[in-house]
Amino acid sequence: MAAKTKKKPTFKEVVKSTSGLETYWRAGLKALRAEDKPHIVPEDPRKLVGSVDIDAAYLATDPHGNRWDFAIGYQHTNRDEEVIYWVELHTGSSAEIKVVIRKAQWFHNWFKGAGKKLATFEKEILWVSSGSPRLSPSAPQTKQMAVAGLKQVGGSLRIPNRKNS
Amino acid sequence: MKTKTLKIRNLGQINEADLSFGDLTVLVGPQATGKSIAVQMLKLMVDAGKIQEEMGRHGIDWEGDLWDFTDAYFGEGMHMMWNPGQSEIVWDGRRVDVEQIAKRKRRNKDENLFFIPAQRVLALRDGWPRPFTDYSPGGPFAVREFSEKLRVLVEKEFSGESLFPQPKRLKKELREMLEKHVFSKFSLKVDKVHSQKRLVLGESNGDGSLPYMVWSAGQREFVPLLLGFYWLMPPTKVSRRGRIEWVVLEELEMGLHPRAISVVLMMVFELVTRGYRVVLSTHSSQVLDAMWALKHLAENNAKPEALLEVFGAPNTGGMRDLATKMMKKTRKVHYFDRERGTTRDISDLDPSSEEEGESGWGGLSEFSARANEAVANAVSNH
Repeated sequence: MAAKTKKKPTFKEVVKSTSGLETYWRAGLKALRAEDKPHIVPEDPRKLVGSVDIDAAYLATDPHGNRWDFAIGYQHTNRDEEVIYWVELHTGSSAEIKVVIRKAQWFHNWFKGAGKKLATFEKEILWVSSGSPRLSPSAPQTKQMAVAGLKQVGGSLRIPNRKNS
Repeated sequence: MKTKTLKIRNLGQINEADLSFGDLTVLVGPQATGKSIAVQMLKLMVDAGKIQEEMGRHGIDWEGDLWDFTDAYFGEGMHMMWNPGQSEIVWDGRRVDVEQIAKRKRRNKDENLFFIPAQRVLALRDGWPRPFTDYSPGGPFAVREFSEKLRVLVEKEFSGESLFPQPKRLKKELREMLEKHVFSKFSLKVDKVHSQKRLVLGESNGDGSLPYMVWSAGQREFVPLLLGFYWLMPPTKVSRRGRIEWVVLEELEMGLHPRAISVVLMMVFELVTRGYRVVLSTHSSQVLDAMWALKHLAENNAKPEALLEVFGAPNTGGMRDLATKMMKKTRKVHYFDRERGTTRDISDLDPSSEEEGESGWGGLSEFSARANEAVANAVSNH
């Protein structure tokens, strides 16, 4: 008889077992503030598995840190596991890119510690920059973001059912 | 300035091109997609009578034949781009019968468009502009005419004078930028060897001079371009030359470092603010970066200093005035799509557009975008 392969825990299970996030799991987009929700546009809202307000979760323990905003799980039709969209909703000008990059650095450090298990999911790290024009693709700032693993999307994040890459 | 339009159907590589021209228009797209044909067609629409006159004056006789006229104007072998019964040109809303242009001499001999061709480096041979008839008969009219204009300019308007620096033609700030980014410590002047005139680069503080053959590739590209700008900027109180309304400048970036490209773009802005309607074709993402910056600075009512900062231009009253005027001008960007043989208006230059032609800025930022994407993916999933 073939040995049973151990099933990988779901996004929800890992969130509930992550130090600091235990009580922050919310279904759908409920972790987002009402004014932030219109910036997330899923092709099929039923495939939004859940969301976490990272910023709120670590406010008490890391009040001066450049805390990341949200994590959103989505079940794409061409993936076995959920993909996590780590989203920073920053409506300031693109001049604030340094702040967003510092947030990304906070986030990468967090992945090495408390968020280690969540780092194993396929992910997209995105700056939804409503209110400011997108940076030119050839701009050095865009490259700084790329090196921080960050991609800038426009005013809203569209999540398709089929993930391209 | 009122927008003008040019529609081209079934001509060479072009299946369907719909171009609208603002005060400053930029054409982008891969090689051999029809950009050059489109701007030469624009010249023909604007200056048919003058072209006929110039060709006749230099001994070209096409005998009313469309194919011969096409070969003489666009260059040898170009008659093949005509698709009888299919090719169609509509200029500013009116269908134009190009066959009639070839057949009948136009009475109006005004010249309204000055064309600075991509092959401008050919205009100087051994450091002196070549006359029209110095080219082989199959050479495109735009190249031969540009060369001839430079010859007349240098012979009639610069007898014994220094061509650079030249206080009567360019703003002091633009001259200083050119000194810094193109000419270094050199000046451009007319020299004589055995009675033969030639352009040389001379050391500002000495007698030494460098003949054409030892100029850098960038200097060889730039000097004909500079002379073209001089032609458009007469040393008198008038801001434009004759009846010239249009300027076509192909591939301004050729052979130039990005800092030099910035200066040339400021010189283009100078032309636009003088009231010329300028059309650029380019393979430089810097030119589109400039158009993108102009758009967003204008839309956000930015101060003129912000535009000057983009170009590393000095913050003086004259330059602020230039920047202020430039931000009020209308802009257009068109993409020539090789696969479809069509054009697309990508003036919004939206990097998040779902249309790849627009988000990749006609292919000019495609490589940077792919590199950024690959690095961001690698870092986020490391």
